[in-house]
Amino acid sequence: MSAIKKLFGIVWSLMGIGIIPLVIMQAMKEIAAKPSEENWIFWSIVIVVLMPIIAFSLITFGVFALKGEYDVLE
Amino acid sequence: MAQNVTNVSKTEEVSSTRRVIAASSVGTLIEWYDFYIFGTLAKIISEQFFPKDNPTAALLATLATFAAGFVIRPFGALFFGRLGDLIGRKYTFLVTLVIMGGSTFAIGLVPGYKTIGFFAPAIVFILRLLQGLALGGEYGGAATYVAEHSPAGQRGFWTSFIQTTATLGLFLALGVILIVRQALGVETFSDWGWRIPFILSSLLVGVSVFIRMKMSESPMFVKMKKEGKTSKNPLAESFKEKDNLKMVLIALLGATAGQGVVWYTGQFYALSFLQNTCNVEFVQSNMIISIALLIGTPFFVVFGALSDKIGRKYIMMAGMLIAVLSYGPLYNSMYDNANLKNKVELVEKTTVETKEAVKGTDNVTTTVTKKTFTDGTTYKETKKLTVPLDEVKKAELAAAGKLKPETKKETILPENIKNKMIGIVLIQVIFVTMVYGPIAAFLVEIFPTRIRYTSMSLPYHIGNGVFGGLVPLIATRLVEASKEPGYSNPLTNMINSVTGHIGTPAGQVDPLAGLMYPILIASVSFVIGMLYISNKTNNMDVG
Repeated sequence: MSAIKKLFGIVWSLMGIGIIPLVIMQAMKEIAAKPSEENWIFWSIVIVVLMPIIAFSLITFGVFALKGEYDVLE
Repeated sequence: MAQNVTNVSKTEEVSSTRRVIAASSVGTLIEWYDFYIFGTLAKIISEQFFPKDNPTAALLATLATFAAGFVIRPFGALFFGRLGDLIGRKYTFLVTLVIMGGSTFAIGLVPGYKTIGFFAPAIVFILRLLQGLALGGEYGGAATYVAEHSPAGQRGFWTSFIQTTATLGLFLALGVILIVRQALGVETFSDWGWRIPFILSSLLVGVSVFIRMKMSESPMFVKMKKEGKTSKNPLAESFKEKDNLKMVLIALLGATAGQGVVWYTGQFYALSFLQNTCNVEFVQSNMIISIALLIGTPFFVVFGALSDKIGRKYIMMAGMLIAVLSYGPLYNSMYDNANLKNKVELVEKTTVETKEAVKGTDNVTTTVTKKTFTDGTTYKETKKLTVPLDEVKKAELAAAGKLKPETKKETILPENIKNKMIGIVLIQVIFVTMVYGPIAAFLVEIFPTRIRYTSMSLPYHIGNGVFGGLVPLIATRLVEASKEPGYSNPLTNMINSVTGHIGTPAGQVDPLAGLMYPILIASVSFVIGMLYISNKTNNMDVG
């Protein structure tokens, strides 16, 4: 179980890192295609609020998992 | 004799716990009521305070709806959580109640945009921020306070009463709005009657403050304070120390994020789906949700109590997994049951009425089409075309493609389909009770008393406020995106292949597209929860 937890730690960290360019690229693509106020507000909320929370928490959680910090919580 | 003394002492303990639960729950319920009436009346508030022709006011409307619910709640959690760990639970969540009640009452009194101009949306925006701050501080305080009064081995049961308050608050808000709207009529309600639910809050808060004033401080906090063990800096201890930060992260990613999206999907998105995708009429759609909420609410206590016996983890995880697997079929069934294409129209009963009237500088043509179907469903479509009398303006609008009628679609379902809809929503409410019933006990038990208020409030409000609160916004966006050419939704494709539907033609909306967000978040949360969360109960310390 400990090895699986650590292995998944890499997955969470990579997900956290990967989400940043993915969201930014999607936002740029959609705003360029339709630069409406609605689009700006939606992507601002996603980039300023949601993305940092997901990225920070997944990366940090992944690193902790990889280091075996959660191994004791059986 | 000794047996009698023990029995009397146990009876007194239970009676005292009941008083604590009742006093805490009433206050928390009122806070949720206050918070939801703004959201439920968003459309009327927008018309009163945030006119669409003023772009700044329109921007404030969006921010007021989202910022207060999502961004501000975690800040409230930090601010009041810190206070609660420094000075005590009782006074802190008394303050949040007063702030919430005061802001709600004040919203009901703010003059509209027509009277005081830009000050109206600005004041409402500030008051809504205060509501969000107060809510951020309330829940953690109430859950902590009740848990610290509860006997070991029964925390899931007792804290589950606090868990019922969010749903009952929504139920109360819907109920009060429906009653006032029915009593005054739609027009008067839209004009000034909408203020009544806000003003009524002051009465409810007054009673609740009176009750809370009489409550005593949490025994665990009192003991800790006597021993001089309270935290000097709860924020730093909660989020800078690795041992606590890792628990905050696991609480967020493995529990509250998934719980938040299941909670919002089962209650708010279900209502939005009924009204906007299935076009179910306002009163009937609210009745469907209200009845399902009322029937489902006792299950918070059932699952809370069950979590004392078998642990918190597996109940919450089962709720997330079943939700992820069944949202597609459930929403597909809701859509199919309301879809007029699946019904046979009684053509001879169809009526079309057209009225023309001059209003100010415009000519307004209203066309009302009423249809009846063999299963008893009735459908009303109102098309309102506003054309300027001025020929130049008319030509300009026509050239810009803006001469389009406003269309309002209202479907009233027959009793048997309405009951089916209640059943489908009820199933979703049961998922909500599975993930939400045990979560207060789970959160309070993974953090030490000295920083419990701060540490548990933040993941709760990020999970519910940000991950959950964004469900309507992101789901609506995904539904819009489904119109684009080349769109493909694996969930819809799977359901289509099972049910034999032919899929969503290009340019048409995929009604199930919005579910991808809650399904994705709940799936990740389920995997993290299953892998990393412990199923222990009663591991709550006092130090």
